[in-house]
Amino acid sequence: MLIEMNNVFKTYLLGEVKVPALHAISLNIEDNEYVAIMGPSGSGKSTLMNILGCLDTPTTGTYYLARKDVGSLNDNQLSDIRNTRIGFVFQTFNLLPRSSALHNVELPLIYSGMPSFKRKQLAMDVLERVGLNDRMMHKSNELSGGERQRVAIARALINKPSLILADEPTGNLDSKTGEEIIEIMQRLYEQGNTIILVTHEEYIAKQTNRIIRLRDGIIESDEKV
Amino acid sequence: MIILENIRMALQSLRTNPLRSVLTLTGIAVGIGAVLYVVILGEITQQRINERLESLGSNVLLIRPAYSRMRGVRTAASVINLKWDEAKEIKTTSDVITATVPTYTGQGVAEFKDQNWSTSVTGTTPEYETVNNDHPIEGRFFSEDELDRRARVCLLGATVHEKLFGNLSPIDESILINSKRFTVIGLLGSKGESWHNPDNQVFIPLTTAQERLYGVDYLSSILAQMRSAEDYDESLFDIETILRRNHRLRSDEDNDFRVRRQDLYLSTVRETNLEIANFVIIIALVSLIVGGIGVANVMLVTVTERTREIGIRRAIGAKKFHILTQFLVEAVILGIIGGILGIAGCMGFNYFITGNGLNIPLDWVGYSFIICSGIGSIAGLYPAVQAANKNVIDALRYE
Ligand SMILES: Nc1ncnc2c1ncn2[C@@H]1O[C@H](COP(=O)(O)OP(=O)(O)OP(=O)(O)O)[C@@H](O)[C@H]1O
Ligand SMILES: [Mg+2]
Repeated sequence: MLIEMNNVFKTYLLGEVKVPALHAISLNIEDNEYVAIMGPSGSGKSTLMNILGCLDTPTTGTYYLARKDVGSLNDNQLSDIRNTRIGFVFQTFNLLPRSSALHNVELPLIYSGMPSFKRKQLAMDVLERVGLNDRMMHKSNELSGGERQRVAIARALINKPSLILADEPTGNLDSKTGEEIIEIMQRLYEQGNTIILVTHEEYIAKQTNRIIRLRDGIIESDEKV
Repeated sequence: MIILENIRMALQSLRTNPLRSVLTLTGIAVGIGAVLYVVILGEITQQRINERLESLGSNVLLIRPAYSRMRGVRTAASVINLKWDEAKEIKTTSDVITATVPTYTGQGVAEFKDQNWSTSVTGTTPEYETVNNDHPIEGRFFSEDELDRRARVCLLGATVHEKLFGNLSPIDESILINSKRFTVIGLLGSKGESWHNPDNQVFIPLTTAQERLYGVDYLSSILAQMRSAEDYDESLFDIETILRRNHRLRSDEDNDFRVRRQDLYLSTVRETNLEIANFVIIIALVSLIVGGIGVANVMLVTVTERTREIGIRRAIGAKKFHILTQFLVEAVILGIIGGILGIAGCMGFNYFITGNGLNIPLDWVGYSFIICSGIGSIAGLYPAVQAANKNVIDALRYE
């Protein structure tokens, strides 16, 4: 079992007011599943993804990632997990705008301490896999949205993660470029990766093999496609 | 490994906002440049004073008349109480005093052709040359024979020489001192600027000064050379015994003369100089601290502006430590580049002011780098801690 979530609650504090974002979420995901998370805006999809991606921690409840209790880890250990086990793809790309595509992609390896020549080679390989071999030295703010998202995917892939999380990866793209990104996701799934994908599009969700629907922080339905 | 990356990232981020970087650097550069300049000038001055101290020797005492006081009433005649015979007596009586040099100094006007120049005229004996370690750079000192004959010969100080002769050699020329004809037999080297100008002097035999020029039988001062600096107490005792007896001072009367160690006098000058230097250094340090505050300010702004970047880095696995060092290195680099500019600026400024190159001692170059990187790291520490402690999610969502 790659992911085991038990009775996870997440409550944000806005001053004195408690904003419940997740309510008693229990969820198991196996290796090499391709999961779509759907739900209306504000239903807690991003909150759930952030917890899955170890960017955030549950208010209560337990989360085991590859049998490790994430709640018991300190900040450094969480950073390590993000660095080596998780590849995160964001709706807004989240690249360093003034750095080259290559540098953006090799960044996780800098923090894991890989020597320069090795990580450059790896970064070039991954950029080639997402079809960006001719854009490596472009600064990321000189790239189109689709190209940026491919750089972001390359960055997510560089450390050979056990889990790829994509929070609305097509949300800022036109439908044609969005489809290209989804094709890459499909290919990654076929190559054996575990992917969790947030989307508003039914046709995208149909391509996965499991759809989890959230509403008001509760799992409304969870079914195989 | 990561430190190299940090340096690379720091340089890149300094390039993104060149104007701001330059302004920040300038603060540090001006500060360290000022500190360096003051420190080095101070050291050069100290060195000059030390050189003079060495050439004077620490074993020469200066005896001068003083007003004697009796129950607060000043006795007028005492300014004329030092006599040549007393100088001789001190030398022969005391075991620890090896030489005495009597001098009489008056004012005079020296004339050569159409040039005239107002100067001090010092009458002394040939021992002056050895006791003061003041040898003519051209010509010779006067002899015992010339002293006995009240010869009209003189040696010129550097200033007098320059004013009367320019670059020409004065030796064997004939000049007028207070309208009396003298032959120049020697030229003394420059002793450098000081609070008074020791080069604006003419030296003549004491007999000539007392009898031919000024018509006096007393002295302005006596220089007494001790066997060694350790004989100070004994020398002082001998001098006081002889002079007090000669001057018939009662035991309730103060000395009507003062004895001063030349080197101690200069030491006081040195200390004063040091105090002034320290004061100026403090002012310069303040400007350096202001430069440091500038760095801290810019780093705080940078950290806020780059909140999202921090979020991205943390999201892909950077530890707090990585973020901390990244911003710390950036601040230190600001400091170091400021230091380099400061050193260059210091040299440039000196060239601009004096027209000479300034040799900055290598150890001070080293200190400057240590100080600048120290200031950078102190200034960068708080902003860097702020950066490292940002919440990952909040930083990622920051617009
Ligand atoms: N940092 C936060 N502080 C306070 N409330 C928050 C915070 N993040 C999310 N929320 C609240 O938690 C709830 C869930 O938000 P979340 O971002 O998970 O929704 P979402 O399903 O991703 O929506 P969308 O489809 O618009 O991205 C919302 O009510 C939101 O206002
Ligand atoms: Mg969302």
